[in-house]
Amino acid sequence: MKWLDRLIEGRTRDLAQRSSRRSFLARVGTVVAGSAATLPLLPVARAQDEGSVPESGDPHSCDYWRYCATDGFLCSCCGGSASSCPPGTEMSPITWIGTCLNPVDNTNYIISYNDCCGKSACGHCMCTRNEGDRPIYRPQLNNEYNWCLGTQHQTYNCSVARVIGKAFD
Amino acid sequence: MKKLLPFLLALLLLVMGTAMAQLQPEPMGKIETLPEKWPAHWVLAHDVSFSRVMDGRTIVLDLDEENPARAYKGMMNNSFAAFMAQATTRPEIYFASIYYSRGTRGERIDVLEIYDKQTLSPIGEVVLEVPRAILLPQRFTMQLTRDESLVLLYNFTPAMSVSVVDPVARELRGEVPTPGCAAVFPTGERGFSSVCADGTLYTVQLDADGQPASTSRSAQFFDAGVDPLIEKAAWHAGKAWFPTFMGQLQPVDFTGDQPVIGEAWSMIDEETTGWRPGGLAPAAADADGRVYMLAHPEGREGSHRDPGMEVWVFDPDQQQRVDRYELAMPGLGVSLTRDREAPLLVVLNVEMALDVYDARTGELRKTVANFGAETPLLVYGAE
Repeated sequence: MKWLDRLIEGRTRDLAQRSSRRSFLARVGTVVAGSAATLPLLPVARAQDEGSVPESGDPHSCDYWRYCATDGFLCSCCGGSASSCPPGTEMSPITWIGTCLNPVDNTNYIISYNDCCGKSACGHCMCTRNEGDRPIYRPQLNNEYNWCLGTQHQTYNCSVARVIGKAFD
Repeated sequence: MKKLLPFLLALLLLVMGTAMAQLQPEPMGKIETLPEKWPAHWVLAHDVSFSRVMDGRTIVLDLDEENPARAYKGMMNNSFAAFMAQATTRPEIYFASIYYSRGTRGERIDVLEIYDKQTLSPIGEVVLEVPRAILLPQRFTMQLTRDESLVLLYNFTPAMSVSVVDPVARELRGEVPTPGCAAVFPTGERGFSSVCADGTLYTVQLDADGQPASTSRSAQFFDAGVDPLIEKAAWHAGKAWFPTFMGQLQPVDFTGDQPVIGEAWSMIDEETTGWRPGGLAPAAADADGRVYMLAHPEGREGSHRDPGMEVWVFDPDQQQRVDRYELAMPGLGVSLTRDREAPLLVVLNVEMALDVYDARTGELRKTVANFGAETPLLVYGAE
């Protein structure tokens, strides 16, 4: 349930830290992708096979590129990954989407922020980034809704960020 | 001396026993109650308990009480980011809760719970047949009609609709589809409007049985693709003031059967270039119709729910900002007490405490913290 902007810490301080980290990671990622792209400098393997998404950054961190429009607990910190749900949960088939810029290939990708449902909130790695979020009357672009829809239970545990395609620029 | 010790102890016990026998025991089973009409400076802190969402609670606080321990007047339970609304003509508070038969799993039941303000106990309920929306709590997901004969609840399944409940007869009256339109704004005596993705308002007037009597759609008055209207409006006496992402203020008068859409104007001036409204509950109005708005500098795409660094006070009739209050701590939500004499501005700060300001001057009066709430995301002034 992609709600709740900030729980404990001052948002401004957090944002400032994140902005600098993000731009740093973007620079590093670009350098890595532009060179041999084989050195494991960053936590994620940079899959460069045809048809896969070039990667950089840490999916356990809120500044990971795919999380640009997320608002909730990161499944990668809850027993799942950036694209898989934790054990014993159920992935919602209905979701909201965002468009995030991949710093490695400087390409926009469509991200599906499926919720993992059936257990109460993970409570780990809260991440709120509302880029592209729109009000509740445009639900497909809204992250305030609990998107545990079409699942057996609506209890919200965490959110994944699945790449489902490249965006048409 | 050792031989004397048992004797002395026995004597001591005898004396104590006599004293206890003379003491009138305090009554067993005494339960406090609250007044039917709550004082103006009482508020309800609606704690959706974000990480334990099936265990929500709404805490009644007296902001005039200097002793923090005594400020806590009582609590009501509710569940799963419950919707909340207060009646003014009956001493009742409504929650729309969701429960599962096995806590976080099992059979789901959606229910409108009716609480008595004096006992803080549930006195009735209506089972809702349509699942209500589950989302970050906001005020316009559940409202009473202006005549207080019906309760209106916003549903999202993801089909959008409104459930109509008679809280007096305690009966579900039906479901009104609102395709492409969200939230409920009481309109006229017994109707509502919803905000639509195409930049219009969809209005439904209901008959005495809670059935749709007429529907209408306004002209387009905003473009969600350019400058989205934020549905978390300031509201007073049937009039609403909606902020937009870019800092416009859009007045709408909902007192008649058809909403009257006023002229939007900018809250941003030369002094505040780059600022934008934002937060979870960014706007509220006082009993004189002044609008209080959370605002943050360096606004950008995605900052529309960022905490505010200041609260701006507007006279919407004059289309003028009349004050700027710098906040002691960034705020996520604003609310007002109902009185005209000395209204209090309550700001939910980023540490989930309540900063209480003098609404007339912006002076920080106190901070209410550590009162048993985890995430009191909405604060309501007592009606």
